[in-house]
Amino acid sequence: MNEEQVWLERARRGDKAAFGQLIEAYQAPVYNLAYRMLSNSGEAEEAAQEAFIRAYTRLDSYDPTHKFSTWLLSITSNYCIDQIRKRRAVLLSIEEPLPPHPALHSDNDKGPEGQFLANEREALVQGMLKELPEEYREAVVLRYWYDMSYEEIADVQQTTVSAVKSRLFRARRQLAEAGTARGITAPAEVPAVAEEILV
Amino acid sequence: MAHDENYYVMMMDALDGELAETARNELEAHLRACPECLREWNALLAIEMLFRQSPVLSPAAGFATRTIALLPNRRARIWALGLVYAVLLLGGLLPVALIGLLVVRYLPILQDPGLLGHIWDSLANIARVAGTVVGALFAGAGRIFQEQPVLIGWVIILAGLVILWGGVYQRLLLQPATTESRN
Repeated sequence: MNEEQVWLERARRGDKAAFGQLIEAYQAPVYNLAYRMLSNSGEAEEAAQEAFIRAYTRLDSYDPTHKFSTWLLSITSNYCIDQIRKRRAVLLSIEEPLPPHPALHSDNDKGPEGQFLANEREALVQGMLKELPEEYREAVVLRYWYDMSYEEIADVQQTTVSAVKSRLFRARRQLAEAGTARGITAPAEVPAVAEEILV
Repeated sequence: MAHDENYYVMMMDALDGELAETARNELEAHLRACPECLREWNALLAIEMLFRQSPVLSPAAGFATRTIALLPNRRARIWALGLVYAVLLLGGLLPVALIGLLVVRYLPILQDPGLLGHIWDSLANIARVAGTVVGALFAGAGRIFQEQPVLIGWVIILAGLVILWGGVYQRLLLQPATTESRN
């Protein structure tokens, strides 16, 4: 039995400190997913807290044959999608500039210029993510930030692998179109996946 | 340059690192010959780079402590659930025990062959009494209507109002509830 399973077992018996260890371990992935989905740091923190509370109260329904992180991210994304649908009527216009994430302000390693560029890039990423339908956005976030396989994304989204492939296909094309419209071009230094094909 | 959706599928596979050798050669040849697809491929690559460079963001300091403070008390819930189950179990067992006791206590009486006849007589008496009461009520109501004919008018108006409320109002003003579904 690994450490995570021990924490889960103790949390199932009502040990909050053990669940606290799980929160420490997964706070960044859960929060990041909520932030990428909701584009607002305050709402993302609330969503992340709500996801952990729901996970804690539903621990009995967790199937240990699946990864805990997948189950937790599934709860988070379902909650975020519900929030997006609820607030759709009062959403800010997508033309409105997004406030940069607070964590990016405090990055002293990059210097002012580096920070400015990081903020710009984040705003760009969030702006493009916001234009995607929520199911596409969720698939993109799980693919790029969590490096999940199609099977894992299908597990989180409670859908089929072919549906995930289709969502990612459409999302990528939509993002490419949005990127072109914003003047984003491929850098001179291309990633390994592209080097192979563009030699 | 003619190109089909298949090249886009190849591009996605290439981005995922899942493109086979022969398909890769085919796509490479097509990209060299088709500027439109090359533009699309470059746009996809740019997005790939941009998103892969974007960091995993962390919540503000103290998030775990704040979240732990919000967690409900699972132990109390477990105890409460145990109590509810115990009450339900007792609630189910007690009537069974009571019926068992009654059967043991009254078994000699239940075995009496004249018992069914007595029960039948009792039911017939109850039906007779109920018939007399209902008959008396109808007779009384009939007498009231004979002495006060205006009451019939009021009853008809009341019945009309009830039909109006139940039929017209509910059909015209109340809309069926809408249902929401995920996905």
